[in-house]
Amino acid sequence: MSNGVSTESIPLYVKQPKVYPREVKGRFARLRVIAAWSLLGLYYVLPWISINGQQIVLFDLVNRQFHIFGITLWPQDLIILSLLLAMAALTLFFFTALAGRLWCGYACPQTVWTEVFLWMERVTEGRRNKRMKLDQGPWNKEKIARKSAKQFLWITFALWTGFTFVGFFVPIRDLGLRLVEFNLGGWETFWLFFYAFATYGNAGYLREQVCKYMCPYARFQSAMFDDDSLVISYDVNRGEPRGPRKKSADRAELGLGDCIDCLGCVQVCPTGIDIRDGLQIECIACAACIDVCDDVMDRMGYPRGLIRYTTENAMAGKPTRILRPRIFIYLAALLALATLVGLVLTGRDPLLVDVLRDRTALHRVTEQTLENPYTLKLSNRTDRDLSVSIGVESEALSGLRIIDPTDSVIIAPSEVANQPLTIGMPIDRARVGMHEITIIATDAAGNILNETETRFFIPARALE
Amino acid sequence: MTRADLDIPPRPLAQRLGAILWPSFFAAGVATMVFFAIVDPLMLRDMTFPELELSRMAGYTIGFFLFWAATAASSLFTWLLLRPASRFNRRMQ
Repeated sequence: MSNGVSTESIPLYVKQPKVYPREVKGRFARLRVIAAWSLLGLYYVLPWISINGQQIVLFDLVNRQFHIFGITLWPQDLIILSLLLAMAALTLFFFTALAGRLWCGYACPQTVWTEVFLWMERVTEGRRNKRMKLDQGPWNKEKIARKSAKQFLWITFALWTGFTFVGFFVPIRDLGLRLVEFNLGGWETFWLFFYAFATYGNAGYLREQVCKYMCPYARFQSAMFDDDSLVISYDVNRGEPRGPRKKSADRAELGLGDCIDCLGCVQVCPTGIDIRDGLQIECIACAACIDVCDDVMDRMGYPRGLIRYTTENAMAGKPTRILRPRIFIYLAALLALATLVGLVLTGRDPLLVDVLRDRTALHRVTEQTLENPYTLKLSNRTDRDLSVSIGVESEALSGLRIIDPTDSVIIAPSEVANQPLTIGMPIDRARVGMHEITIIATDAAGNILNETETRFFIPARALE
Repeated sequence: MTRADLDIPPRPLAQRLGAILWPSFFAAGVATMVFFAIVDPLMLRDMTFPELELSRMAGYTIGFFLFWAATAASSLFTWLLLRPASRFNRRMQ
C-alpha cells in the first residue's frame, strides 16, 4: 500500500439485492391490471384478426408493404411512418408534462410483461415472504417443483410472445400452421427465439434494472417535468415524525405524524426504493405505494393520501396550473403533426403511375395516325382489385386517343403491373415538337385515380 | 478528498451491459428501418453477392445485426473512455 493505491479486490459484478415486490390491491392496482389486459390483449390478439383475408396489422417485410388497419404503406411512404413515430413521442411528452410517468407505470412493455411474469412467480412460488424464504432455503423437492413450474410458465409464455412477435411480420395463421408442422423458416425461428429470450430475460430477471440502468426516458423526462406535473409523493409535513404506535394511541400526544413506518410502501415497490425519501429517478410511478398506504390509513382511521398523486407546487402550498404554455405547445405540435399525417394519407393516390417512354421507338407512323409507345408501371396501393381505364388529355394537341389498351386493366391489391400503352393522333393535326400531355387513370365508376404528366413526341421527319 | 480523487465504485454488470447494448439496439433498429425503407435487400444482394441465395428476411436480419454491431462497438468505446483511470491502474501493482 506504499504507493497509495488500494489493493483490496473489487468484485467485477456487484450483485444487486433482489427486489421481491409484495402484491398489492387497490384503485391503482386495478387500473394497472386493466391496462395490462388491454395492452397484452391488443398484442396477442391483433395479429389474428383478418378482414377480407387481410391481416389487419401486418408489417409484411418480405413483400415490403405495411398493412395497418386497412391502410397499406409502401417504402415510399416512409414519411408517414416517421410522422407517426414523431406523434408517438410527442404524445409521450404531453402525458409526461401533464401527469408524470403514466407511461412507465401503466403502459410500458417492460412494466406490463414484468407484471405478468411476477404474477406467474406468485402463482408458483407464493407470496413475498414465501418467495424470500424459498430463495434462501435449500434445494429440496418443493423448491425444485416450484421453480420448475415457474420456469415452465415463463418459458412457455415467452415463446408464445416470440411467436406473436414474428406474427406481426409474417402472416400469423400461416406461421401457426407451419409451427405445428415444425416447418418454420430459419429466420422466423431465429427471431421467435430472440424475442422470447429478450422477454424472458427482461421480464423475468432484469426487471427494475431495465428502468434504472437501461431506460433513456427515465433520464430525459426531467426535461418535460415542471412543478405542475403530477408526481407520486409522500406528504412529509403530514407524515413526519414517523413511528409505530397502537391504533388507539393519540398521535398528537406521542408527537408523531401520520406515517406509522410500517414499510408497506417499501415492500410493494417494484424498483425497491423508499418513496418517503422524495421523488427519485427510479420511481416508475406505478402507484403501488399509494394503494398500500391508503389501506393502512383506512385501518388506522387516518385520512387517505399520505402518499398521493400531487404536484410539487401543491406540496409547497402553491396553486397548481394544469393549463400552462408547455401543455399548449405539446398539444399544438401534436395537432399539427396529426393534421399533416391526415393530409399526406388522404393525398396519396390509390394508384401509383410511372410512365416510361419506349427508348427504342419514340414514335411510329401508320397511314392516318402518329403513335407514341410507352410502358406504364401501375401500382395498386389499395387492399382491393382496381379496374383501371387509361385516358389522355392535352391542351396543346387535339385528337389524342388511346390505341392500346382499349379495355380496362384489372390490378390486384399491392400488385405492380407493367402495361404497354400506345397513344395516337390523326397525322393531319400533328404539329412538330415535344408536347405536354396528361395520362389519366380512372376506376370503373369513372373516379380519377391518378393524373400523370408526360410528353408526346412529334419529330419533323414524321410529317414529311 | 479533492474532486480528482473521487472514485466511482464499479457499476453492476447488468447496468454496464444494459447501457451498452440497449441504446445501440435502439439506434440499430431505427437505422435498419430507414435504410431498408430506401434499399431493397434483394437489390443490395444483386449488387454485392449475387451468387448467394439470400432472402429478404435474411437481408433484414443481417442488416440489423451489422448495424447493431457498429452501434454497440461505439457504445462500448464510449464506456471504455469514460472509465476512471483507477480501473486501469489498479491492475498494475
